[in-house]
Amino acid sequence: MGGPRPGAPPTDGPVTLFSLTVGNIWAKKGRSTGIAFAVALAVMTVVTLSVVSSGLENAAAAVLTIGKADFTVAQKGVDDILFSSLDDREVAAVRDTPGLRSAVGVLVETERINAANPLFIEVGVQPQDLEALGVRVVAGRAFRADASDEVMLGWRAARDLGLKVGDRFHANGTTNTVVGLYSTGVSFGDLGAMFPLPAVQAYNRVPGSVTMVFVKVVPGQSVARVRADLESAHPEMTTIRTASEFGRAERNIVFLKAAVTGSTILALLIGAVIVGNTMLLSLFERTREFGLLRAIGWARGRVVTLVVSESLLLALVGSALGVAASFVVVSGLEALPQLRGVLHASFTAGAFWRGLLVGMGMAVLGSLYPAVRAASLTPVRALSHE
Amino acid sequence: MSDGSGGDAPMSDADVSTRPTGGARVTTRPMIETRDLVKVYADGKVRALDGVDLDIGTGEFVAVTGPSGCGKSTLLGLLAALDVADAGTLRVGSYDLARLRDADRYRRQEVGLVFQLHNLLPRLSVLENVEIAMMGSDGPRSDRGPHARALLDDVGLADLADRRPPQLSGGERQRVAVARALANEPPVLLADEPTGSLDSRSVETVLGLFDRLRADRGVTIVLVTHDQAVAATADRIVHMLDGRVDVARP
Repeated sequence: MGGPRPGAPPTDGPVTLFSLTVGNIWAKKGRSTGIAFAVALAVMTVVTLSVVSSGLENAAAAVLTIGKADFTVAQKGVDDILFSSLDDREVAAVRDTPGLRSAVGVLVETERINAANPLFIEVGVQPQDLEALGVRVVAGRAFRADASDEVMLGWRAARDLGLKVGDRFHANGTTNTVVGLYSTGVSFGDLGAMFPLPAVQAYNRVPGSVTMVFVKVVPGQSVARVRADLESAHPEMTTIRTASEFGRAERNIVFLKAAVTGSTILALLIGAVIVGNTMLLSLFERTREFGLLRAIGWARGRVVTLVVSESLLLALVGSALGVAASFVVVSGLEALPQLRGVLHASFTAGAFWRGLLVGMGMAVLGSLYPAVRAASLTPVRALSHE
Repeated sequence: MSDGSGGDAPMSDADVSTRPTGGARVTTRPMIETRDLVKVYADGKVRALDGVDLDIGTGEFVAVTGPSGCGKSTLLGLLAALDVADAGTLRVGSYDLARLRDADRYRRQEVGLVFQLHNLLPRLSVLENVEIAMMGSDGPRSDRGPHARALLDDVGLADLADRRPPQLSGGERQRVAVARALANEPPVLLADEPTGSLDSRSVETVLGLFDRLRADRGVTIVLVTHDQAVAATADRIVHMLDGRVDVARP
């Protein structure tokens, strides 16, 4: 008796932990759907929050890209970087820092132009600084330094607004003449407008002040060294090189990131409790099964692996559904009239990893205790379980 | 048997003698040996086993009988390493179960278990129910399927390999359970009331299977049963009473 025999019928694939996992999930469709749904909900929440947060951060940080600078100098610790204020003396102090090729002070404001442009970017800059800022006039001419009603539009903004040189454009508290179109080579910069600096300062009643200074260092100089020297000499200022450093100047971004992190942890814990509760119910239903597996020689580790694998596989499916759902939700949010033009979704790899991490974390945290309980069952008692 | 886990070496040939039983070579060398075996429950208030001394030879088919609560199933549980004795010694082959380090491996390789309620997993096919007993065993994974089919062929269920347990009769399920118990070719088969829920025809089939196992493989079989007719098919009947072997009924 026993052993493979000649002429035995062809075999199917051997039963594996994976096939058992899939079979167990399939056999309890209701329970499985519940777990996957809970994971999907949590992952959708986390991914959506991350995407919205990244979008808002990028939108806020995009202002830094206008100057195509090596780094930007702003007032330290303001809630919104647009609240940053550096006066003439501070700008002069920045310019006196050794190793700088150029330092251009700009005043940045946002204005609601229409429903599609609720946060239209307007930059006040001296015309002689346009070249240092990397601005190229592609049509018409640059505005005059002392003009109070002249504006240059970014070529993308002009296209979107349907304006051309010579047209009238109401902004900055007055009706301006579009004297030229410019290109910065940065899409965000080309979606705004530029005015003479004194005109914007006058409209905002902040004479002699700028929002930030775009700095380029002398080629060959260490950007890090120059930044360090500047921050050391002027502790009231901060330097920002990348969008990820934006929080150094703007506290709103720091708060937003903290809120997203908090929500992620909360979603993880709530999800883990839901998964754990469902898995415990499953453990109760399958007590005899686990007792049998232990009785026929399955090691504890194998039982733990089986239970956690079921949870992980469901979490994987739930995570995929959650990510898909987040696309729908974010699209819906972008379409809301209140958020149109404000929210620019940014589906970064980080958002997906965060979602996947939450999904998998829920699975592991939620199933570990039930799995250990299942593996620790005394076979004799488990087999007598009704 | 494979190397023991903390057990002593097998007894020498000088201890071995043989006697014929139904064509099988049965030796008196103890495959199973218990001495003063004690198991208590409920903080010592219930002595399920109260000093059991028992020798079972290699290839022997022993039926353990007795009234409910006499300790039959407890004894079987200890033999299967499903539970641990509180006192006494218990050897199965070269294994000293009091010092067993890897009970999982012992249960997987050294003993096969058959329960009254077959305990098949209803979600799995008959074939898969046999295969799961081989998971974690030595040997290539690809051999599991052919081996399981061969075992099902041995118990006369090759044609039902792809069915699910709920589609089988009680006798068929129990035969699947026997095939599963033999999956790792253990030298000892432990059966707890395997015919308890079967009709008479299925009982005959299962008992015939046990007889063949003993004859063809030399498997040592310990069968716990209430049924005297079933017990009568064994080489030897061990009566238990109040947690002891009832020596008054040889």
